[in-house]
Amino acid sequence: METLRLMVVDDEPGMRAGVIRALHDYTVTLSDVNGHVGFELDAASTGEDAIEKIRTSPPDILLLDHKLPGMSGLEVLEAVARDWPQMLTVMITAYATLETAIAATKRGAYDFLAKPFTPDELKSTIRKAASRQILARQARRLAQEKRQVRFQFISMLAHELKSPLSAIEGYLQIIRDKSAGSDPAAYAHMLDRSIVRSRQMRKLVNDLLDMTRIESGQMSRELVDLDLRDAVKAAIETIAPAAAEKNLAVELDAPQPAMLNADRREIDMLLNNLLSNAVKYNRPGGRVRVVLRADGGGVTIEVSDTGIGMSADEVSRLFSDFYRARNAKTRDILGSGLGLSIVRKLALLYAGDVTVRSEPDKGSTFAVVLKQ
Amino acid sequence: MARILLIDDDVDLIEGYQLVLSHRGHEVQAAYSADEARRVLRSGTPDVVVLDVMMESQTAGFELAREIHALCPALPILMTSGVHQAAGVPFRFEPDADWLPVAKFLDKPVLPDALAEEIERTVGKK
Repeated sequence: METLRLMVVDDEPGMRAGVIRALHDYTVTLSDVNGHVGFELDAASTGEDAIEKIRTSPPDILLLDHKLPGMSGLEVLEAVARDWPQMLTVMITAYATLETAIAATKRGAYDFLAKPFTPDELKSTIRKAASRQILARQARRLAQEKRQVRFQFISMLAHELKSPLSAIEGYLQIIRDKSAGSDPAAYAHMLDRSIVRSRQMRKLVNDLLDMTRIESGQMSRELVDLDLRDAVKAAIETIAPAAAEKNLAVELDAPQPAMLNADRREIDMLLNNLLSNAVKYNRPGGRVRVVLRADGGGVTIEVSDTGIGMSADEVSRLFSDFYRARNAKTRDILGSGLGLSIVRKLALLYAGDVTVRSEPDKGSTFAVVLKQ
Repeated sequence: MARILLIDDDVDLIEGYQLVLSHRGHEVQAAYSADEARRVLRSGTPDVVVLDVMMESQTAGFELAREIHALCPALPILMTSGVHQAAGVPFRFEPDADWLPVAKFLDKPVLPDALAEEIERTVGKK
């Protein structure tokens, strides 16, 4: 149950007591946010007293008498609207004249309650203010969560960029100061590794741009009827040098045309990510197998490898941004940790999804379903 | 000459450190995960350990530091980390006998020469 703080400000003790009596057991049920709201009640007899109390603990809803001794209701309203803009003020007016209403609305009043009012009228007004405050509270929470997610993403991104930078910086310092002895091969190796790590950073930046573009919907899409067999063949050609280096056999099983109305660049991106994983995480002399099947309203692409495979725990975290299986077997494998996030986001564009079956030391199979 | 155990999951960072430290006459062993470090430590105690905070998990290094300290209380640990920047939290680590039993905290990036000097200072003090 959520709790909202409510303060009634009125110089008549009977009015303060009446409001508190009417609301102290009152619970608002909000169907649209699926929750109940109770109230924590407080009262003040003058505007000055109210401001002082608000300063120490501001309520969510202020039930404010228009006519107060000393500081007037409108003056309190003005101060509240200026300093506590999230608070909702319901003005209690003895004479519900149009002028008072206009003056109060101009100063930021949310609603009015004309004296004398019944407990039901009070409850109905409070209910309205409460549901608005709860919705605002939830919107703030959501915004906070979004900021948190974004912050985490950027922190991880920074970490992923700083690791190769540190490695490169270390190597460069050694090369500059010749602090690793006189063997030229050692220095050549450090230069080679610096280039590899720079490429890794470039890949990360490119993946990041791809991912952001997909998410933002800013990617201009050109949907045409494609036979995915062509795209798969092209992706296999792209990966061929890396596969040859590891002495991998790459097989394609696609007996029938696999037609899909799709954007070729998106399909290439998806296939390149899947195939490059199948090569990277494979064992030397292993096999990569691509199976393409058209069925009913879509196409299924399966990419299997005979590589290191994954534990159930690793599989469960696989699609998180920047997740990379970290163990002795993956130590020398470079990646951005964004490839599978990209694959999943692309599959979602085609109302599809990605699933994975994996067994440690046997290999993994990624199945992507794309629909029309 | 000091016997040094380097623990970090970045192969290149370790390699750079290793090259410089070996050239300066030290004996260097490397471990790329907390588990590997545990195995290496079972076969003998080095003179100093260099340990990264973030490896398999964000705090694997902390846990390992406490374990190492419990096993060999006299073994100095130099802990490297970019964690306070990564977390965006402006706290400073202070070595603490129980919670963070390390000799010194080094902010990443720690360049190879700077690490070598830090190690030599630490071992010299012993």
